[in-house]
Amino acid sequence: MKKIPVTVLTGFLGSGKTTLLNRILTENHGKRIAVIENEFGEIGIDQALVINAEEEVFEMNNGCICCTVRGDLIRILGNLMKRRDKFDHILVETTGMADPGPVAQTFFVDDELKHMFALDGIVTLVDAKHVHLHIEDSSECKEQIAFADVLVLNKTDLVSEAELDALQRRVTGMNSMARVLRAQDANVPIADVLDVGGFDLERALATKPEFLSPEYPFEWAGTFEVEEGAYELLLGDGPDPTMTLVSAYLDPGVVAHDRVEAERALRIWAQPALPASVATTIELGARQAASLQLMGRGPKRFTLVAPKSGRIGLFTQHLPAEFELQLVRHDVALVPAAEHEFTAGHSHDEEVGSVGIHLEGSIDGDRLNKWISQLLREKGLDIFRMKGILNIAGADNRFVFQGVHMLFDGREDRPWGTTRRANDLVFIGRKLDREALTRGFEQCLT
Amino acid sequence: MPDVTTTQPRRGTTELHPRWRATLGDYVVALGISADGQLCVIGAGDGRVVGLDVTSGRELFAVHAHHGGVLDVSIAPDGSRFATCGPEPTAKIWSRTGALIRELPGTRGTWVEHVAWSPAGARLAIAAGRRFRVCGPDGEPMFDSDTLPSTVTGLTWRDDGTSLAAICYGGVHIVPFVAGAKPRTLAWKGSLISIAWSPDGKVVACGSQDSSVHFWRMASGHDSQMSGYPFKPKALAWDHESKLLATGGDATITTWDFRGKGPENTHPIVLAAHKGVCTQLAFRPRSGVLASGSQDTSVLLWDPRRGAQEIGFAFLDDEVTALVWDRTGRALAGADASGGVTLWEVA
Repeated sequence: MKKIPVTVLTGFLGSGKTTLLNRILTENHGKRIAVIENEFGEIGIDQALVINAEEEVFEMNNGCICCTVRGDLIRILGNLMKRRDKFDHILVETTGMADPGPVAQTFFVDDELKHMFALDGIVTLVDAKHVHLHIEDSSECKEQIAFADVLVLNKTDLVSEAELDALQRRVTGMNSMARVLRAQDANVPIADVLDVGGFDLERALATKPEFLSPEYPFEWAGTFEVEEGAYELLLGDGPDPTMTLVSAYLDPGVVAHDRVEAERALRIWAQPALPASVATTIELGARQAASLQLMGRGPKRFTLVAPKSGRIGLFTQHLPAEFELQLVRHDVALVPAAEHEFTAGHSHDEEVGSVGIHLEGSIDGDRLNKWISQLLREKGLDIFRMKGILNIAGADNRFVFQGVHMLFDGREDRPWGTTRRANDLVFIGRKLDREALTRGFEQCLT
Repeated sequence: MPDVTTTQPRRGTTELHPRWRATLGDYVVALGISADGQLCVIGAGDGRVVGLDVTSGRELFAVHAHHGGVLDVSIAPDGSRFATCGPEPTAKIWSRTGALIRELPGTRGTWVEHVAWSPAGARLAIAAGRRFRVCGPDGEPMFDSDTLPSTVTGLTWRDDGTSLAAICYGGVHIVPFVAGAKPRTLAWKGSLISIAWSPDGKVVACGSQDSSVHFWRMASGHDSQMSGYPFKPKALAWDHESKLLATGGDATITTWDFRGKGPENTHPIVLAAHKGVCTQLAFRPRSGVLASGSQDTSVLLWDPRRGAQEIGFAFLDDEVTALVWDRTGRALAGADASGGVTLWEVA
């Protein structure tokens, strides 16, 4: 029996959920759609069955773990399945303040719903103009962004291109797995929101392979050839009051964004950084990060000293373009031998973010199980979603899994075949400790 | 739920003898047989309510009762009328010939999801959203509940009609209809989804969303929980002596024995033969025989006191969605998710 896909629409009041809903319902897609609405919107459509229901969240015990589920969905979807004119698609429109966690968990834990429905995706609408009013203070707003498979930045006509880029960087920093779409009047292609496969790991990988690419707290790495002596780092006005910088000498021919070098830089990054004002002399290749203090308006010049000539990698927290960053010697800007922009893995938001970990080697299944169980027991409330593809020692097949809070679902997948075996894990959540997660995962290696 | 495979009846069991079969062509949501054993009322997923003659299976009436599907059906004890509800804000009362008598409003803005006639007298209880109400024989309101913590998921009357129980998240809300008695709440932190009140009124048993069965002894207020079911125990049934409680929640039927000090710390009687999850349970009136229906289309008869082997079998065409005995226990009606209805004669 083919499971009926369910799409969850979330977003703050005024973000355009109802507009999108109306667009989906009026578009001629031939689908029989049932809508469960927790927010009393103005849906003027006869073709679809629209059910208004009050959101009912309750805690339930599922074996040894507790999770919150949505009683209204269990009841209404159970009733809907008794109709012969069964539906091709279900849309759930949550209230503006809803936590998407219980909605997702409902489809993991209820035996009947699990059997009949498949959660296709969580689509979160973001009011590009007004989201900044809530994003700092509202945990719901952050959770809606963090849970999303698709983020629709709506009302793009009301903001500048630069503001949109900044918003996109910010939401991607919070949720690196989501696909980001831009829209006016929620005018996104219907197929991009109705057929997402967000909880289908295979699909997620096929459509967005970079979602498992490594994430670093730096957005940019540049490779330069330097002579012994002093350099200047010029910065213009940028969006943040500080920016962290790590530098490291490289072997000839090696580029800074090479995975090995990036991992090395990451370890330096994790140590406490040296606060650096324009009066500080920063040594290139020192095994300590520098936190450039950028308070005040106007351009800033930092002095960098190369103790020896050679190839150097610079890793910066933000993109050079954001600060008009230049490395200068004798008033001439150096052109990098190589440069690379990383997926924004770090969060501008301290609270909610994504952590992606890539490990070569094979994983001990028992140790992994123990680690994940303990992790979810202790941090499950703060881990919103996770996805992973693992190379389990002794197994010919890939092991794929995904989770929502404390619930997770894993299975053997297709054989590795000729693909390079490796392990990738992505967490999205609140107050994630990248170092601790990486260490824990590393300890599962055989 | 697991994928369905077909139950294989054991050798030596008897196949039930069908008196008639009917096809409604849509999911049977609810089925009732009137106390006089004449009228079978069926509510379907497409919103129709159909009356069949129990003797012949002939269609007596068919009405489009509820746009969007029937949710519940209840026949008045005197058989003169029945109540139905659907995804609409009113319950409907019909004559036994299928003529609409009146509509009863529930809570404004929500569906009426449950209707239940009192076994004694002509009180009708209806549940809508987080409230339930009781009406008199002509629809006059007699009682309105407070707003409960969540939507009411079930209603049942005590067998003597003196009290009504409503379940929702957080427990059972009991309202007595005798002078001087006070309402009671049997609290429990969980979402209750099914209820069965023992015929002697002493024990209230409920199935819970978290795959357990919870029961309360009314005299002492003492409660116990039976956990470990793989699925939600939606089907519950008491035998006429109030000693055996049969519970679904799995392909096997777990029957708790309340004789002596049980069922706490005792082993239940396990009835294993269905291959799919048990969806329906009904003890035969004035007998220890149990009828069970499954997701795998099978209907089985058991006599749990005598042994754990099935004693009769039959098949429908789809998941069993209703199973009801007539008052004499000589006829058993079953219906399925494709709209098939069969009436078997049981010797």
